Amino acid sequence: MRILVPALAAVAFLSGGFGSPLQKLPWQTSGSASPNAPMVRFLYPQQVQVRSGKPYTVEMHFRISKGLHINSHTPLQKSLIRTDLNASAPAGVKVAAVQFPAGTLYAFPAFPSQKLSVYTGEIVVAMRIVAQPGNHLIQGSLRYQACDLNTCFPPRNVPVAVDVVAQ
Amino acid sequence: MVIALTLMIAAGLINYAHRRLGGQALRGEQMQLVPADAPPGASASPSPAGTAASEDAYTTPLNGQQAPNFTLQNLQGQNVSLASFKGHPVIVDFWATWCGPCKMEIPWLEQLQQQYAGQGLQIIGINADDLDKDDPAKLFTEKREIGDFASEMHINYPVLLDADAIANAWGGVDALPTTFFIDRNGRIVASTVGLAPRDEIVSDIRKAMTGGAAS
Repeated sequence: MRILVPALAAVAFLSGGFGSPLQKLPWQTSGSASPNAPMVRFLYPQQVQVRSGKPYTVEMHFRISKGLHINSHTPLQKSLIRTDLNASAPAGVKVAAVQFPAGTLYAFPAFPSQKLSVYTGEIVVAMRIVAQPGNHLIQGSLRYQACDLNTCFPPRNVPVAVDVVAQ
Repeated sequence: MVIALTLMIAAGLINYAHRRLGGQALRGEQMQLVPADAPPGASASPSPAGTAASEDAYTTPLNGQQAPNFTLQNLQGQNVSLASFKGHPVIVDFWATWCGPCKMEIPWLEQLQQQYAGQGLQIIGINADDLDKDDPAKLFTEKREIGDFASEMHINYPVLLDADAIANAWGGVDALPTTFFIDRNGRIVASTVGLAPRDEIVSDIRKAMTGGAAS
């Protein structure tokens, strides 16, 4: 079973925008944060133990690198790219819902009326599942678009994998 | 003699350090994020470290080289080549609709286009939004949205589409805005990655205007 969350993201996994996101830029120097360094990391869990047939909430923790912010799941401007989860669940696992945290509202002083809803630091995306007995691997990715105060980076995907052990 | 030389070098280094600190302070002032409900003057950025991608992370190797030519479509569907602007100082600005710092930079570029038009300056905006080239309906919508955005921002210079098609030739542009300053001979004389202070942009425009012989 393949689940695209939410709204079945007609958007396929993006490779990360324009250019070659995995290729080191020719002018990058070592030792500094770079556009190709990981901007968001999946922290945990790698595995969850659940009771089969019973609803369980998998709380997926992500860390946004210091100095960066990413748009929330509900950005307030049409042109902004929201954070989204694109997850594929195997047979035997039903995903009932996915819940994103609320963003924090900020604004640039030059555009006080154009508020931004963003995530910083650690965020938790909650996936409500019901699993049949057995081991199941939920795989997918979190799509995000990050900026620091002067620069924005093309959309990226951070891989997510959670082993569900249902008994 | 040696002492005088040493003092001159030391003074130069101190001056450079002061200018650099001043530039960093200016950047911070320009691009500070404050809580939406904060009173004017409040300061509480979600990115307390300032920039994650330090300005030291970038020095373009294209400086001093001939600008790679390109031919891209504008918002009206016409082909536009960089080569057609030879003889003019040109700014090539990579931007996207989802890029907040670009939205700060664009109004400056509009003003500067107007201010320096008489001296031949030509700014070209190259949009980096994703385009679904295999889906005509989506592509149409995406182009319209970019055009709407350009209209809302009152962009008064050509906007070309599909940065992806030329990004590698321009150093793999992977952070926005990225801006190149090209002299009348087609040579890149300066570039910036991320929003630069307006004064720095003006200074780079002057380099582009004086860097090549007038046509």
